[in-house]
Amino acid sequence: MRQTSSFWQSFYDQLASIKLTVITLTVIAVGSLIGTVIPQGLTQEQLVEEYGPRWGYIMDLLKLGDLYHASWFRFLLLLLCLNLVVCTLRRLPKTLKQIRYRDQKVEPQKLSQFGHYKRLESRLPQEEVVARIEALVAREFASIRRVEAADAYAGVAERGNWSRLSVYMVHFSVIVILLGALVGSMLGFKGMMNIVEGDTASRVNLTGSHQTLPLPFEVRCDHFDVSFYDTGAPKEYRSDLSILENGQVVIQQPIRVNDPLSYKGVTFYQASYGATLVSAEVEFTERETGKTTKLSLPFQKPVALPGTPFQVEVVNYQENVRDLGPALGIALLKEGQEPMGSWILAKVPNFHGNRLQGYQVKVVDFQQAHYTGLQVKSDPGIWLVLTGFVLLLVSIGFTFYTSHRKLWVWVSARNPRKEIHIAAKTNKNSLAFEREFDHLLKRLQDELQVKQGETRK
Amino acid sequence: MDSSLLLSIITFAYLCCALAYFSGTIFRHNRFLLLGTAIGWITLALQTVALLLRWWESYQLGYGHAPLSNLYESLVFASWAIMIVYLILEQRSKLRTLGLFPALFAFLAMAYASFSTSMDSRIQPLVPALKSNWLIAHVITCFVGYAGFAVACGVSALYLMKGASGEQPNPDSQRFLGRFPDLRQLDELNYQLIMFGFLWLSIGIITGAIWANSAWGTYWSWDPKETWSLITWIVYATLLHARTMRGWRGKRVAWLSVVGFGCVLFTYFGVNFLARGLHSYAAM
Repeated sequence: MRQTSSFWQSFYDQLASIKLTVITLTVIAVGSLIGTVIPQGLTQEQLVEEYGPRWGYIMDLLKLGDLYHASWFRFLLLLLCLNLVVCTLRRLPKTLKQIRYRDQKVEPQKLSQFGHYKRLESRLPQEEVVARIEALVAREFASIRRVEAADAYAGVAERGNWSRLSVYMVHFSVIVILLGALVGSMLGFKGMMNIVEGDTASRVNLTGSHQTLPLPFEVRCDHFDVSFYDTGAPKEYRSDLSILENGQVVIQQPIRVNDPLSYKGVTFYQASYGATLVSAEVEFTERETGKTTKLSLPFQKPVALPGTPFQVEVVNYQENVRDLGPALGIALLKEGQEPMGSWILAKVPNFHGNRLQGYQVKVVDFQQAHYTGLQVKSDPGIWLVLTGFVLLLVSIGFTFYTSHRKLWVWVSARNPRKEIHIAAKTNKNSLAFEREFDHLLKRLQDELQVKQGETRK
Repeated sequence: MDSSLLLSIITFAYLCCALAYFSGTIFRHNRFLLLGTAIGWITLALQTVALLLRWWESYQLGYGHAPLSNLYESLVFASWAIMIVYLILEQRSKLRTLGLFPALFAFLAMAYASFSTSMDSRIQPLVPALKSNWLIAHVITCFVGYAGFAVACGVSALYLMKGASGEQPNPDSQRFLGRFPDLRQLDELNYQLIMFGFLWLSIGIITGAIWANSAWGTYWSWDPKETWSLITWIVYATLLHARTMRGWRGKRVAWLSVVGFGCVLFTYFGVNFLARGLHSYAAM
């Protein structure tokens, strides 16, 4: 054999080794375990803050803050998948050969070595013995196929021959599910859309990146509503959505948690809600001179502060800060300078922090609006995943509750006592099969005791 | 009579049931075992009534949901599932001596539900995320799986006790353990129960995934409970492979079964103390 082919051969052998399975499974299990102990989604700074500089650094190196998306974890999953495929492919030809196998010869000496074996005798003529055995076994188990035997009768009966393939279906289903996940992650997307009541939007903020993705249609939030039980617990989150194409409404439908809306392969889920600012009337008072300027500030749009080189902008909004009510994050901007910002409490005008550089800031009035937070998803792989799910359950059921069972019978032609050898085998060595075999033998003994010419009762 | 009074009676009744099975095995007396079976079936019937009553009460309160929505209700259902799985097994195998552990587990689940000070036993309205028909399918299938594993763990514990005493013959322990079925039968039962549990756990994980997909748009998010259910699934899958491919039997399989049930317990309880994931309502 050439060098390269032996290299690939040994690589392939390694991939098929049970050692690899055990190691990858263990590392995946331990990794998953770590991921449930360390809070996920932490940044490097948060890790350092939480666990100290050295451990924080190591943990960040191993991506323990976002473990399930780390490349090493993905690689292990892939390795396990490959291992599963190779192991399965290796065993499959052997199993297929076993399924196609037909006994050519049956010998009593060999039968006596089986775990399930019994030797009986009968004084009936051979044809009669054979006829009775064949009828009984066909009724109780499966019809007998005759096999050549020197000076004797021999036959084989089997059930569940193809059930030996069901375990391959289990493995195949797992691969289908993982393939579906791969298709979904490559061709699909996941993101969020926050739409203010009455607004229309068509860009999705993709999860895990700062990019946005345009949709080929528009979504309008006509109304958002949250209702509560008497206990104060939330009862229902509901958004009335409209889908628009070229400015025309094509679908109008409310969505709730557990009740999403799908259009052209994109699904919208009710995920969150909140309040945002529309605009605010703000007074800026120069503390040195007492000069007051009143400005109308639209949310996140810079406005010039007259008579100064500055611009002001409401950059952020929070509905409730530390139970002190709504707060506006206002920034003072000047070209070539770092922006200066401060949180201004709208409902507590005397709050000492309501100042920005040399200005006392007062929010006179503001309009807020509710927005609905939609989880947006497109997953072309979902049908593969769902198919895999169904296949997996069906094939696990078949694997557990069907088995291959085989029975061999040999009857001598010698007079006057016919020797009968019966043996059986199952691929699941279960007590249930032992009982089934014992039951069959008992019936057979009863059957063979009936005298010739008598009718069976 | 309301469901909570009934559930207190049931807690006590399962204790009696466990004691009856225990006395039956200790004193080698079939009457005690029969008593255990009788108490088991009667309590199970009562508990079924209590569960239905609680369901009906939730409609009276205007919430209207199956009693499977928080830790308290799930514990009650867990003890119900363990007992029904065990009693059907007993009926089919005619082995009464296996009842000690399942009855004890059922009692402990009920006792935890009834006596824990942090447990909220009131009927609460469903939060929006739980308002789905998948709730019933997901919780029932998972807990039937857990129940299979719980009974398997009980059988494995008996196996290990009996197996350990077999090495050093001791007339006292032989008297006690001699009543249990022989080792091969215990091994076989363990295997059967694990296959049963594995099938139901798989259905449970998959119904959960389908539900998550319709509620949040992701069928898998590595939430701690999801992750631990996967670890549990892997442990039992390893056991099944070790048994069929490597021919493992007896002690090693029994130990794996105990470890697997440890994972089940961690998936069920341990995860609640770790982090508040998507399943946080199951900790309340």
